[in-house]
Amino acid sequence: MAARLELRDVGVRFGTFDAVDGVSLKVHAGEVVGLIGPNGAGKTVTFNVVTGLQPATRGAVLLDGVDVTRAPAHARTGMGLARTFQVVQLFAGMTVLENLMVAAHRFTSAGVVTDALRLPGRRRALAAARERASAVLAFLGLQHLSDVEVSSLPVGQARLVELARALCLKPKVLLLDEPASGLDPAETADFVALLAEVRATLGCAMLLVEHDMGVVMPLCDHLVVMNFGRVLASGRPADVRDDPEVKTAYLGTPA
Amino acid sequence: MRLYIALALGGLPIGAMYALQALGIVIVYKTSRVFNFATGAIGLACAYNASSLVDHGVPIVPAIAVAVALGVLIGILMELTVRPVRGTLTRTIVTLGWLLLLQGVVGVIYSSQVGTNEPARLLQPDPFISLGVLQYSQDQAAVIGIAIALSVGLAVFFRVTALGTATRAVSEAPDAAKLLGIRVDRVNLVAWGIGGGISGLSGVLITPLLNKLDTTTLVIFTVQALAAALVGRLSSLPLTLAGGILLGVVQPVVFRFVSTSFPSVRGTDELTALVVVLVALLLFRRGGRRDAVSGGLEPVPIRPLPTGRVAIASTVGVLLAGLVLPLVMDDVGNTSRSNITQTAVWGMAVLSLVLLVGVVGQVSVCQAVFMACGAFGTGIAMLHGVPFLLAIFLGALLAAAVATLVGLPAIRLEPLELAIATLSLAFTADRFLYSWVPFASPDSNRPVPRPGFASLDPGHAAAGERNYAWLVVGLFLLTAFDVASLRRGRTGAALTALRSSEPATAAMGFSVTSVKLRGFAASGFIAGLAGGLYAGLLQGASGAPFDFTRSITLLAYAVIVGVASVPGAIVGGFIVTLSTLTIGGTAEVASGRSASTVTLLTGALLIGILVVAQDGLFGLLSRVFRFRRPQREPVAVTA
Ligand SMILES: Nc1ncnc2c1ncn2[C@@H]1O[C@H](COP(=O)(O)OP(=O)(O)OP(=O)(O)O)[C@@H](O)[C@H]1O
Ligand SMILES: [Mg+2]
Repeated sequence: MAARLELRDVGVRFGTFDAVDGVSLKVHAGEVVGLIGPNGAGKTVTFNVVTGLQPATRGAVLLDGVDVTRAPAHARTGMGLARTFQVVQLFAGMTVLENLMVAAHRFTSAGVVTDALRLPGRRRALAAARERASAVLAFLGLQHLSDVEVSSLPVGQARLVELARALCLKPKVLLLDEPASGLDPAETADFVALLAEVRATLGCAMLLVEHDMGVVMPLCDHLVVMNFGRVLASGRPADVRDDPEVKTAYLGTPA
Repeated sequence: MRLYIALALGGLPIGAMYALQALGIVIVYKTSRVFNFATGAIGLACAYNASSLVDHGVPIVPAIAVAVALGVLIGILMELTVRPVRGTLTRTIVTLGWLLLLQGVVGVIYSSQVGTNEPARLLQPDPFISLGVLQYSQDQAAVIGIAIALSVGLAVFFRVTALGTATRAVSEAPDAAKLLGIRVDRVNLVAWGIGGGISGLSGVLITPLLNKLDTTTLVIFTVQALAAALVGRLSSLPLTLAGGILLGVVQPVVFRFVSTSFPSVRGTDELTALVVVLVALLLFRRGGRRDAVSGGLEPVPIRPLPTGRVAIASTVGVLLAGLVLPLVMDDVGNTSRSNITQTAVWGMAVLSLVLLVGVVGQVSVCQAVFMACGAFGTGIAMLHGVPFLLAIFLGALLAAAVATLVGLPAIRLEPLELAIATLSLAFTADRFLYSWVPFASPDSNRPVPRPGFASLDPGHAAAGERNYAWLVVGLFLLTAFDVASLRRGRTGAALTALRSSEPATAAMGFSVTSVKLRGFAASGFIAGLAGGLYAGLLQGASGAPFDFTRSITLLAYAVIVGVASVPGAIVGGFIVTLSTLTIGGTAEVASGRSASTVTLLTGALLIGILVVAQDGLFGLLSRVFRFRRPQREPVAVTA
């Protein structure tokens, strides 16, 4: 069976600088893969290539065996990709529920005309989107935030809402870019437990970028380490952690 | 061939003037990153000033000196009003206010001379100076010489003087420049002064070449200046000079070329300039100069319809008192009914801008062109036997299609660039589209009978007028309600989301391009609908109510009342109607004193409101209101 998500020799070049240089990795169904590496290693750029926000200079991205390298970002979402951003990108001026409803509208189809003329399709679409959004909020235990305007949320809650918004898309593969940065230790522990529950209940595969080993080690089945745009090492978390080359990359001196 | 060369060389003096005006734009942009849309209007003011001085017996040279000093003064005053405003785009809108203000002032002061003035010759046309194939009159030669001397002189000035270096520092990094001890404000002031002076000089010099002086021609020259400035990439003075001269040289050739096959075509000069503007804007991108123009309006999400009993009651009250009640009452005359219809129509036009500026976050300075598409489209459809209501719908669809076309480059352009492109389009439509025969009719008034309403009951013309008013008011309320509750719908939610984060919206499965274009199409549709309904009211479509001044004033009203405010659109509609009433009856854009007064006031109000409150009257009022009332407890957000 083809992997849920596969990168084959992906490269991104900015001018003369290779931000990503020949990265290959696979995420199988139900698997959680951690993508780690020092600052500027090219993890976020890799994410952008996967989600279609950044065109790849070379290589291929495959979703369930289908080549999506040329597909636009919104089409990939339709094929089961969802992501969160390193810098939280909620829709300002909207409530939490409204933010989630934007995502939930992926499964509705009311167009401009239906909206403007208030045809029955509009009501149906809104009801369906609201139902989906509320269900996800309930699942994550965030119902009490439903009517809060998102710009007034503290970082920890904003990150949870962004996760909820991504889950509204019913993803097959969930990409999380440093979801625990900005959280305090207690919040981080809660977040790890929550992600474990998401995984157990929804069974979606995840690709996780994170610096905090306390998040990476308990969650990931597989680790990929990047440095200077290349894959430095990959394997089982414990093995990778003890790899001397990885330590060098992180600490800068031979271990 | 010889003929074309002669034609081209004949365009040289005018081209030099385009270049001079463009220099005015570039010098201001180089330092303050603000696009001065009022260059043409400064030229206009100074031209009238010089011309009337000469008429009063002042010798030529002092007259020119006074006029240029006036230009410098206007430039300085502009800088002072731009300074307190945040954001490049908003600052540029302030210059649109100045455009209106100056055009209005000239109209008021010189109203007796408007359009009829025989401009004073600054230099005697003879003796001729021979230049190979062609002879230039003395004033033409002087103009070319001055343009070349000024652009070379300024280029050298900016390269070698301390002020030039400071200018560059200020434009690259204003905050850092401040820390280095450069007096940023003073550098800006000097740049605006020089820019204003040059714009004024070009206006003074150009009138004898044109052999006429009226309140629009020189303002429309802005489009040529925009084109030349963009060819110069908004930074290079020699390239700007070349761009202006090239444009002047190419235009007579294009005109000759086109008019041999289509004798009735007008406005090819503006059309040529528009093409140059668009090509230059799109190439800009290719060149990778992302910093060329930047900045947008602060995102102002449309507030949902006011909730709470007081708010609802007052909104309904305004609507009833303003629109519905006079309709129900029997004894109001036809005139006031048609005024209500007008209010609703213009309200709808302002609404289309509320949608575009407030939700899509793009500034269009050509909304009246979309209206004209609706109006003429309705007329054309009715000519082919389409019933009135369906024809209006088709006209609105045409406007939506045109708006989508305009939106297409907007995907790639920054908001300020789009403002440049749409303003150029508004100027061009004035001169070209509204007199283009397949579109407008030869006598420039396309009949739009409205059989269902005028002759509904032949004995009671009033009934027809009233029913039509009901139709328009009903459609206005429907669109107002739609726009107000837009955010709750599917597309509206995506549009609102787009303004905070395009990547995140794409990640939610929405195509950014398609969502933006739908916003443009919807805005164009509403504007087109308003245009078609307006044509129905006048029972005819012509270009006059949709000229460039209208496009700018519509934007002005949207900004003045607040782009985030739907009830504001009604107020905007009232203002437009009131302004047309003062002109006298329906909005034939008269060039009389009262029309100029309205333009003047609109400009002044736009500048004033942007200096005081960028979210418009409604934002200002609501802040004053909230300030008075005790603040409500913020919602607790702890888990
Ligand atoms: N659009 C761009 N143009 C040029 N360089 C870029 C661009 N985007 C990213 N880079 C560069 O690519 C490199 C990789 O960046 P990336 O954001 O992927 O790092 P990262 O691994 O996510 O680091 P961090 O842990 O800090 O988030 C960096 O050196 C960055 O400066
Ligand atoms: Mg990153």
